[in-house]
Amino acid sequence: MITFRTTMGDFSIELDFDNAPVTSANFLRYAREDFYNHTVFHRVINGFMVQGGGMTADMQAKPTHEPIENEADNGLKNSLGSIAMARTSDPHSAASQFFINVADNDFLNHSSKTMQGWGYAVFGRVVEGMEAIEAIKGVPTGNSMGHGDVPVDPIEITETLISDSYADR
Amino acid sequence: MAVLFISDLHLSPERPTVTRAFLQFLQQQAGAVEALYILGDLFEAWIGDDDNSPLSLEVQRALKQLSDAGVALYIQHGNRDFLLGKRFAANTGATLLADEHIVCHGDNRVLVMHGDTLCTDDLAYQRFRRKARHPIYKWALSLLPLKRRQKIARDWRARSRAANSNKPSAIMDVNADAVDRVMAKHRVDTLIHGHTHRPQRHTLSSGERIVLGDWHDQGWMIQLDNSGYELQHFDIA
Repeated sequence: MITFRTTMGDFSIELDFDNAPVTSANFLRYAREDFYNHTVFHRVINGFMVQGGGMTADMQAKPTHEPIENEADNGLKNSLGSIAMARTSDPHSAASQFFINVADNDFLNHSSKTMQGWGYAVFGRVVEGMEAIEAIKGVPTGNSMGHGDVPVDPIEITETLISDSYADR
Repeated sequence: MAVLFISDLHLSPERPTVTRAFLQFLQQQAGAVEALYILGDLFEAWIGDDDNSPLSLEVQRALKQLSDAGVALYIQHGNRDFLLGKRFAANTGATLLADEHIVCHGDNRVLVMHGDTLCTDDLAYQRFRRKARHPIYKWALSLLPLKRRQKIARDWRARSRAANSNKPSAIMDVNADAVDRVMAKHRVDTLIHGHTHRPQRHTLSSGERIVLGDWHDQGWMIQLDNSGYELQHFDIA
């Protein structure tokens, strides 16, 4: 599993290499590079999802690696506690940004291989520290640098810890 | 006389301070007891009993000295040093224990384990463990030349350090049901384990679970004598 220490508590996720091999490997690569350290949860919507993994506290986007193919058709659902890749309207534009579902967001699931129906690729789930995610989802938000739903006080990932079970991945 | 339990020293060439503290511990605290139980992850990585590195030889020598002096020595496999084998046991005078072992001392009956099998919520780890402990995997590993295996261990240690894999947060905690099940299975009211690096005494409805800490800035041990169990820690210079 991968544990993220944040300014609002720790949480851990487990990657699903079986159902989302490309996405999991991509995420592990960023984690190993400590890419997520000092990124913030820049888009938080209570009852929907908390998103991060791409911006620093001053809302500057960190340069990423190439985007990856969308694995949303893997059958995994955007249910409460699952982690999925964020992207633009281009289905295959996901790079480093992710979001954690704080509700069962069925409408985000894959329905067809069209721009509207592609959906968002789920590649793992929160296995520990869901309390931290629950705390994050409820913070006051506002506008910042042209973005909405930005937490008033930045919520930063401070450390990334990777367990041995991914040593041979 | 007393019995001591330790675990999770993660001895490696990169951490000489801990090795020094362990050798000192063997001469001082461990020298005065009836038995010493090492409940897994004595080494950060163990690639085979033919390991002739200075650390391996030094530790085996010191353990042999202890067992020669009359202290009974018992060792369980951890998730890092599960390749400790018969030759290591013979060299040190130690007895290798099963993953779940009952220690009887006076009126006390305690179940000792490394603890990694209790982290049943960590599906990725349990899958990884099943693969790594498989006889065929171990046999294939043993076929690799020593130098190659030493390189694998070096890479693994470097990766674990970079990934902070030894911090408690990177190791999932035990599952409460798994703890209840294993204690009921062996009909014990006391369980001692390590692995999670979260030293603590936990009171349960059915008794007590005492967790050892890993050796880093401090050393940890549990002493069992006539007055019961005591979880202790001491500074590592």
